[in-house]
Amino acid sequence: MKLRWLLPAMLAGVAIGVLLFLARMTQSADSKLHLERLANLRAINNLDVQLNRVLTQARVATLMAEGDERVRITRQLGDALDAIDKGPQSLHGLDPALDLATNRFLDTIQDKFELDFDIEARTTVLNQRLVNSANSVPGQVAALVAAATPEVRDNVGDLGEQLKTQIVTFSVTPSPSNQKDVEMLLDRLAGQPAAFKDALQRLHAGCADVIVDKDELVDRLRDFLDRPTGPQLQAVEQAYSAWYAGQQAIVARYRLALAVYAASLLLVLGWLGLRLRGSYRALDRANADLLRANSTLEAQVETRTHDLSAALRDLRDSQAQLVQSEKMASLGQLVAGVAHEINTPLGYARSNAEIVRDSLGRLGELCAAQDRALRLLTAPDSSDEAVAAALAQAEARRGSDDPAELMADLHSLLQDADHGLNQIAELVSSLKDFSRVDRSRTDLFDLNDGIDSALKICQNQLKHRVEVVKQYGTLPQIECSPSQLNQVFLNLFTNAAQAIEGNGRIYVHTLAADGGVAVRVLDTGCGMSEDVRSRVFEPFFTTKPVGKGTGLGLSIVYRIVAEHGGRIEVRSSPGKGSEFALWLPARQARAAPAEPTVEAALTAVAA
Amino acid sequence: MSAAVVESGAVRGRVLFVDDEPRVLTTMRMLFRGQYELHFADGGAPALELLRQHPVDVIVSDQRMPGMSGIELLRAARELAPGAMRVLLTGYSDLNAIIGSINEGEIFRFVNKPWSNQDLSATLARAVAAAHAAAVPAKPAVAAEAQRPAIVSAGVLVMDDDPRLPPRIQAILGTDCRVFGAASLDEAVGQLERQRIGVVISNTRVQEQPVVSLIGTLKQHQPELVSVILTERADAGAAIELINQGQIYRFITKPIVDNTCKIMVHSALKQHERLAHQPELHRRYEVTRPPEPPLASAGSRLLERVRALRSWVTGRA
Repeated sequence: MKLRWLLPAMLAGVAIGVLLFLARMTQSADSKLHLERLANLRAINNLDVQLNRVLTQARVATLMAEGDERVRITRQLGDALDAIDKGPQSLHGLDPALDLATNRFLDTIQDKFELDFDIEARTTVLNQRLVNSANSVPGQVAALVAAATPEVRDNVGDLGEQLKTQIVTFSVTPSPSNQKDVEMLLDRLAGQPAAFKDALQRLHAGCADVIVDKDELVDRLRDFLDRPTGPQLQAVEQAYSAWYAGQQAIVARYRLALAVYAASLLLVLGWLGLRLRGSYRALDRANADLLRANSTLEAQVETRTHDLSAALRDLRDSQAQLVQSEKMASLGQLVAGVAHEINTPLGYARSNAEIVRDSLGRLGELCAAQDRALRLLTAPDSSDEAVAAALAQAEARRGSDDPAELMADLHSLLQDADHGLNQIAELVSSLKDFSRVDRSRTDLFDLNDGIDSALKICQNQLKHRVEVVKQYGTLPQIECSPSQLNQVFLNLFTNAAQAIEGNGRIYVHTLAADGGVAVRVLDTGCGMSEDVRSRVFEPFFTTKPVGKGTGLGLSIVYRIVAEHGGRIEVRSSPGKGSEFALWLPARQARAAPAEPTVEAALTAVAA
Repeated sequence: MSAAVVESGAVRGRVLFVDDEPRVLTTMRMLFRGQYELHFADGGAPALELLRQHPVDVIVSDQRMPGMSGIELLRAARELAPGAMRVLLTGYSDLNAIIGSINEGEIFRFVNKPWSNQDLSATLARAVAAAHAAAVPAKPAVAAEAQRPAIVSAGVLVMDDDPRLPPRIQAILGTDCRVFGAASLDEAVGQLERQRIGVVISNTRVQEQPVVSLIGTLKQHQPELVSVILTERADAGAAIELINQGQIYRFITKPIVDNTCKIMVHSALKQHERLAHQPELHRRYEVTRPPEPPLASAGSRLLERVRALRSWVTGRA
């Protein structure tokens, strides 16, 4: 039972697990994170560009002004870099190629930062010096003009003005022509009288300082700007995009798998649903049937009850018939036995009567002859010859049939016939006693009489081979159905006689006991096994061959005793004999058994 | 010794009566004292004792007696005095007793108590006459049989409604003798006309018709024919009729026990041969004529045909 539920539950669990796994695999490429990452990379690019621009602008503008802007950019860039280095938006650990590109970019930008700080420090110094050098130039020009001769003073002053302009331009946005112009102007000044040579030299040196410093600044800036952060970042982005595309492809595959899986799950679910629907339909049908059955149940129950009571009635009838047929069978045996008992006396009595009739005929003839002789003798006119002839005739008759002898024979024959008729009368009377058809059903009855009449009835079964030893106590008359109890004793005696092979004895003991009468019937017969003993009162149980006994005899005994409120027990030892002990109460309970019922017999036997 | 001599009174028949009721014996004495030499015994043992000392022609015995039943007595008497005719006189006997008296006692008559003096006298007269007519030689018959040329071996006719029975009997008997079947009396007579039959095995009724008159008539006209009854419907009355009016030789009840059946039929065939060779024995198996021919006109014609049957032994019709 449990296994039946365990398997589907496991299958359902596995199906849901697979579904969850697939769903999770499709979620693994987080598009929001992806967008953030891309934005981050763009931001880095922008900031990098901004930083470059700031630094480039610093070439022309005074550096102090841009310092704040640079610090802001640097900080933002640092944050953005930190974001791709570690944290949820980190690009590390996704793909080896991406790792490589990212690391390279990070190294480069790290260098750039270091360069930036270097530039910052150095530029401050250089700018200061440049400003100083540039600022010193006008003073030196003025000193030069002052030192110049008046004829050349205008020329020098003009040249000096040009030089000042050139230096300022150079220090801000140097260009190769600018530097050449400065050097050409300086050369043109050198062609002037040497009066202001020193001043010129100082101017020269100042200009040279400006040029050198400016060149260094420009070099450093270029170095900074030349760092390949842009392409490297682009490589990073490409690598990341490639990785993301791969992820997308995987996710697409999982999505497809999920779709297929979901579709098949749906199919399975649909199939299950169909089945369920089928089951429900069957259930509905069964319910409908049940309802119908319920509605017809009462009618069915009624029919069944009717059938059952009919069957019970049949059973009762057949049971009653069987009991009746057993009675008839035992009656048949009884009649057969009694018939033999009656036929013998009837045979000789009838035969004797015939003989007597014949003899009386002869005796009559003798009497007639003698009578004739006597009449002739006493008649006055009879001749002597006639008298002599009549006498001789009478004498001859007398000789052949001696009257005395004949009379003795007749006497003896009639005596025998009388005896035979008495015997018959006695048998008939015992039959009547036994059946008690001329008495009421229940009566006060001395069981000793019943036992005697039963013994007379089964005399022919016992005669010559079974000795009956009677030991009667003085019994109170008990209230009972005498004919039924006679049947009980007859059955017990018949049973005992059949148990005795050859010669044996039956002992019958009676005594008053326990407010009733106890009777014991013992035989010296073959006895019975425990198995047979325990079943001996069962209806239809018989040890006789088929057709020899109905197996109802002792069950009838049991039933009759039970109906009288008595009890019967049997003891037996195989090979030695059996004892049936029964006890009957002196008075019947008021609900006296009017008509024996089949149920009573059945329950009594079943008990 | 012939029947005529007996009737003339030259030789008195000797009859032994056995009954445990002395009054019956008294009656018998009164009844037959003028006619026969009478012997009496009140039980089986004294009767056998008496038989050893006095040869008798007829034994009349009761069936139910203390110590030894009538059948047991008659069976013993058959050994002791084979020449004595055996009559059972009894008030009531169950079927087994009657079958036993036929098969074991080989009795001549079965007489019911109460008896009629006239019938009993007639039966005794027949028995005595039969005994005198066929004073059986004790044993020389065997030697005589050996010398005789074996005549055509006789067949067996089986009369039964069941067509499977004749083959069954043939199977039991083996190929030693031929078995013919007949499912009706008509067919049976036809077979008897055509075949040489020694033993008739018959049910008590064939096609609802009792066979007793057919068997009786057969026995009257062909005394050497031996009948065996093989039936499942055994009843005492029919058995008594069959012995008294048909002199059946054996009575077998179904179901058939092969071995018993074989022994009985072989014994019947032997009996047939004995009767065929010793016509003087026929009177021992004389039947009582039934009071009236019980068969209807069709049956009477049948019996006419039976009377016209040619004897295979004597050759006369």
